[in-house]
Amino acid sequence: MKWSLTHGFTMTLSVSSETRARPSWLAEQANLIGLAAIIILFWVLFTSLAPGFVSSFNLFALSRSLAVDIVIGFSTMVVLATGGMNLAIGSIGVCAVMASGFLMQTIGLPIPVALALALLLGAFLGWLNGFVIVRSGVNSFIITLASASLFLGGMLILSKAQTFNALPPEIAAFGRMRWWGFVSPLLFVAIGLGVALIILFRFTALGREILAAGANARAAELSGVPVGRAIIIAHTLSGALAASAGLMLVFRLGAAMPSIGQDWLLPSFLAPVLGGTLLAGGYVSVVGTMLGALLVTTIRSGLLVMQIGNFWLQLFLGLILLFAVMLDRYRSVYAERRSLGRKNAGRRA
Amino acid sequence: MRLTIEGIGKDFPGVTALDSVSFEILPGETHALMGENGAGKSTLIKIITGLYRPDRGRLLVDGQPVDFTSPRDAIAAGISAVHQERNLIPRFTVGENIMIERPPTRNGVIDFDKVHAEARKFLDMIDPSIDTRTEVRHLSVAQMQIVEIAKALSLEAQVLLLDEPTASITGHEADALFAVVRRLRDEGKAIVFVSHKLEEVMAISDRVTVLRDGRIAAAGEPIANMSRGKIVSAMIGREERVAEMGTRAVDRSKTVLEARSLATSFGHKDVSFELHKGEILGLYGLVGAGRTEVARALIGDGKVTAGELRLNGQSVTIPDVPTAIRRHKLGYISEDRKAEGLILTHPIRSNIAISVWRRIASKLGLITRAAERKVADPLVAKLEVKTPSIEQAVGKLSGGNQQKVSIAKWLAAGVEILIIDEPTVGIDIKTKTAIHELIGEITRGGVSVLLISSDMPEMITLADRILVMNDFTLVGTIENSRRYETMSREIMGFIHADAEAGHAATHG
Repeated sequence: MKWSLTHGFTMTLSVSSETRARPSWLAEQANLIGLAAIIILFWVLFTSLAPGFVSSFNLFALSRSLAVDIVIGFSTMVVLATGGMNLAIGSIGVCAVMASGFLMQTIGLPIPVALALALLLGAFLGWLNGFVIVRSGVNSFIITLASASLFLGGMLILSKAQTFNALPPEIAAFGRMRWWGFVSPLLFVAIGLGVALIILFRFTALGREILAAGANARAAELSGVPVGRAIIIAHTLSGALAASAGLMLVFRLGAAMPSIGQDWLLPSFLAPVLGGTLLAGGYVSVVGTMLGALLVTTIRSGLLVMQIGNFWLQLFLGLILLFAVMLDRYRSVYAERRSLGRKNAGRRA
Repeated sequence: MRLTIEGIGKDFPGVTALDSVSFEILPGETHALMGENGAGKSTLIKIITGLYRPDRGRLLVDGQPVDFTSPRDAIAAGISAVHQERNLIPRFTVGENIMIERPPTRNGVIDFDKVHAEARKFLDMIDPSIDTRTEVRHLSVAQMQIVEIAKALSLEAQVLLLDEPTASITGHEADALFAVVRRLRDEGKAIVFVSHKLEEVMAISDRVTVLRDGRIAAAGEPIANMSRGKIVSAMIGREERVAEMGTRAVDRSKTVLEARSLATSFGHKDVSFELHKGEILGLYGLVGAGRTEVARALIGDGKVTAGELRLNGQSVTIPDVPTAIRRHKLGYISEDRKAEGLILTHPIRSNIAISVWRRIASKLGLITRAAERKVADPLVAKLEVKTPSIEQAVGKLSGGNQQKVSIAKWLAAGVEILIIDEPTVGIDIKTKTAIHELIGEITRGGVSVLLISSDMPEMITLADRILVMNDFTLVGTIENSRRYETMSREIMGFIHADAEAGHAATHG
């Protein structure tokens, strides 16, 4: 179930996951504080270079895309918790988007029913991923790589890649809604999901079981944790969150477009990894993921306001992911040294 | 070749790993190197093989000071090591692995005929039965060790270090290995033998050096002058204390677990036994005899394919581990604490409470830290887990304390039957006794224990009765008389008789 970006990396991660201690409370906070400091730095930078950055118009746009970035990050985070990956979040998201468009525009279902069904579809596709992963024992990277293409292909065939742009007007109206002149209510939806995830991972048996399965699946299994079930539920949740992110974009765009989700992969990893979630599984930081998403959104928005092209954005995000991964590696080495270093010197004998 | 270790010292930040260690390794001897975990054995081996450089002191080869800056220097000087972890390339053939350092070439390409011919020469010195054209991944662990030794010989090793060579091979294979060791010694090679197993050391070595806390506790003592007790007291600084087991009431009228002619997906045949209330039932066998697999089949981590399993008189089938734990109060402590037993990165608190998460959750399904601590705190205190805090990551605890946490997890779950697999593997002698006493203690509380161990003294200290397993079937049951000599002879008798019978059956 453990998989990471490359083979070389897999090795280092699996080694460190054995020896690595969970970051202490302070170390964890230090990471968050560091992240917050970087974010503030970027805000100061962008504001001084382009005062339009803090205009209520830009802040509103930023809050809308932040909401989406946070939820995309959560979608990947819940699977990282199990030590797995979900590369299909973009495809699941767009399937939910197109389903909602179809249900509202073609069938004419009431909005809440259509949205609920779209979320359900996302959850189902996530469940399908989890089920196949657990049943086949093949790692999640490969399964979700395949299902990403499968889901996307299925959606394109069924929808003929037609945009649904005659949605009920309430959709776009909600997307345009501003609180206090500069915040989209979507952001509060994302924060609400974050609170729910904090409760899940900190205080529920299910969340704890998902983390235990991620930290050491075999030990968890032998301790009576239904590991397969935990993994399937994590993927189901991931699917539902991906669908939520897709629907948020439907609100924002006022239309259900088949191109949604194609650029999710990078930010989906960036947010949790920057925030301190371990790629190897067993530890998540919900607040960290939100801050990570904020950093991504800030940079994207800042470059946009400064009218620096999209090409640069890709380059920047790539650099930041690389940096975040180095940070993950450094954290593990650091934790290893701290936990074992002194003792080891004598104990290795 | 004579290797002299002279006043070697090595410091790591905050700790002195070795301090003025001096002794000599002579040609034509098997020299045992012993010491508890943390005594400095590995550090010393790393210095001898050129992985570390000493901070103080020096190494001399035949009286000439040497300075190794890398393992290559040590190999060039004739010192090779066979480490605990295998250093062979699984997809390469035996011959390629042996000759990997300096493959013979012709016109710039590797001459494979010559590779195998050369490798054959060295293998023939120790074990002619291994084919040099076999890929290493098809070999047994014991055969891989032989290949590594052949590789060391091909490098013209005069001093050969064997680090825990018998840790993962069966008794028979160990006997074969010892024969090789004796032959090499008789040819004038020096063998440095690192092992935790006293019986082995007593049987095979000529002299023994014991390290304690980085210092020499016995330097090159002839084994004839040493008794088991003497070596142990050199290792731990005092006499070995045998666990105080106290009086334990085993109620033989109550059978809590009964296996009737079980066969399993692992290949067990006709396994029948009874475990009584409050009993410690030993399951002895050599590595690979199928003991751990019995445990796995019992807890639903493998399939029972025939026969009947009865718990408290009821016939049951256990489909998975959670069912074993929750419905049948049956728990299993793996021999591999790190990979299968504990979640090293998580705190002690949740490692103990994990088995009862579902039970301690509130009506809303929420688990609070306080609820977990209510379960874990008393157990940490009762089992005397030494830790600064219950929030400590389990990976930071010593092996003995990790084992206590494993046991605490099952006490928290309220198991009635506990299968304990190799409870003291990798745990030093001091803590071993505490774990033994703890196991006795939990049976006094009414828990019945199925104890799996390859450690004969441990088995004889703890078990009330001992089942002997060989080749996935039970070959005998013995009432434990606690007399080491007669018990070990009887147990080995069963195993050898079975092996003989098997041999006779296939060849006669």
